[in-house]
Amino acid sequence: MAAALLTGGLCLAGTSSAQVTLEVMNPRGEIAPPKTLGISPRGESLAGKKIVLIDNGKYGASNFLDVLADMIKQKYPTATVVMYPKPAAQTITDLPKWYPTVKQQGDLFVFGVGD
Amino acid sequence: MPGVYFTTTEFLDDAKSAARDRGMPGIRTLALPADKYYVARGSKEVLQPIADQFFDKMLGDLTRPLAPEEAKPSQAQQQHENANIKVTGKDFVDTSQKVNELFLDNRWADGLPIVPPTPELVKEMEAGTTLSPQKVIGQVPPKNGTATVEKIAINAVMAGAKPEYFPVILAAMEGFTNKHYDLTHVVASTGSFTPVVIVDGPIAKELNFNSGIGMLGIGWRSNSTVGRALQLSLLNLGQTWPQVNFMGLTGRLEAYTFYTFSEDTAKSPWEPYNVSQGFQAGESTVTVSSAGNPAVFGGGAVAPWTAQGVIDQMVAQIRNRGVAWPHAQKHIIVLHPDCAVELANKGYTRKSLQEYLYEQTRVPYEKLAKGVSFGEGSEEEFIRVSIADGRIRPDRAQIFLDNLKPGGRVPVVQSPDDFHIVVAGGSPGYDLLFTYPGTNWAHQTVKITGAALTKAGQ
Repeated sequence: MAAALLTGGLCLAGTSSAQVTLEVMNPRGEIAPPKTLGISPRGESLAGKKIVLIDNGKYGASNFLDVLADMIKQKYPTATVVMYPKPAAQTITDLPKWYPTVKQQGDLFVFGVGD
Repeated sequence: MPGVYFTTTEFLDDAKSAARDRGMPGIRTLALPADKYYVARGSKEVLQPIADQFFDKMLGDLTRPLAPEEAKPSQAQQQHENANIKVTGKDFVDTSQKVNELFLDNRWADGLPIVPPTPELVKEMEAGTTLSPQKVIGQVPPKNGTATVEKIAINAVMAGAKPEYFPVILAAMEGFTNKHYDLTHVVASTGSFTPVVIVDGPIAKELNFNSGIGMLGIGWRSNSTVGRALQLSLLNLGQTWPQVNFMGLTGRLEAYTFYTFSEDTAKSPWEPYNVSQGFQAGESTVTVSSAGNPAVFGGGAVAPWTAQGVIDQMVAQIRNRGVAWPHAQKHIIVLHPDCAVELANKGYTRKSLQEYLYEQTRVPYEKLAKGVSFGEGSEEEFIRVSIADGRIRPDRAQIFLDNLKPGGRVPVVQSPDDFHIVVAGGSPGYDLLFTYPGTNWAHQTVKITGAALTKAGQ
């Protein structure tokens, strides 16, 4: 198949007597990479800290965070635990407005349980 | 703010992908064992052993000093997706198979065979529109890939679409990427929601869309390939993949072609749907809308039915699911022509039927749920928050406030316009109710323009 073929609208360029080469285009779109940020530095202990437990609203998450809250209080009596549920039906598009309010609630956060 | 993110093992890839998309790949994430967590989550007692297992890990993640890469990660590099690829095989069939394998290996295909998108075929597709190949139609979440006319054309070729269909596909993509359409939810959610795609106006007939018996089935190239072109465009431009960042638990029941059909304007007793959306009679449009899977009503060919009975059953179903999220709930009702005609004969217009549905589906205040499925609080609290933050439109807010009291009847949607009534199907036929609980607005009707190969849609 030395000559180019036109088969069903596909232009096939032959590379040898038997082979067929097909040139195809990439279907993915260009993505501008987001600016990559580091995570926040950690302190040495939770003692004396205010820990914000964020319930994402999915069934069971509040139970899991309640268990963690009890364990934190037991291990760090000087720590304060704040439950701060994600507002009901908080949409993905609204989240950038909501994140700064989390920061105002305490020193550390635990978010769960994501799906 | 230092923190830890809990997810489960089934969602770990999804969490990592989302963290990268948002520019924070180093966020410390702990994955609970999915096979244990989901069955245990209803009880604190049963959850305790899982919490015991992860507590020290959590403390470690909250206190362990940062590694250099965590503190100052390297910047993500621009992905370039423009180079063509040459694939060689021993003959045409072998080459075509290799292209299919390559595309599926790269997660660029959907598992069914694709038409290899050669530059020649893509150019033919682009000839279906007067728009420039480089024109940007929008960005597709979750990764916000840029949807140019050319990129959509590549996906349309892969889907097997004709160039004549291309303006319909472009208009639908314009709807999906509209800033008011919450596309992230439908492309990523565990709920396996599916777009409904409704073609209206003269282009539907010119392109031979099926609006009759089997309108959601196989056999009509326009229905099948327009839907598949959209499905592939969302897959490739948003870069989603099952079990990675498209987490639909069952997958969509119309996974490959979405629910794509046209309205039967010839048999409808009412004005075309797009006219009810503010377009001129004779204009061609496409409506894209996120939806759950449809409930089916009526007797079809085998059982008796009445139009009023169909509507009453729909009302019962909608009312039974409750107020939930009235700021975002919407319903697409597809009536088969005989049912629509019977309703028209009883005096219903589309508008009066919408108002009937709005009134009949209202939920007594006393039956509002005390806890909503997401977040804390009751449905009443949620509605009040939705009014306060503007999710419920100011011009509709008072209706809700007036009914949040004993004896009140609370609407399930913001307005009668949130019942979208379309006529399509066979004779005999069934009637469909697509309900979308919503996370935001996800419904757009777009005028089809720039058609170069059809009389309609120019």
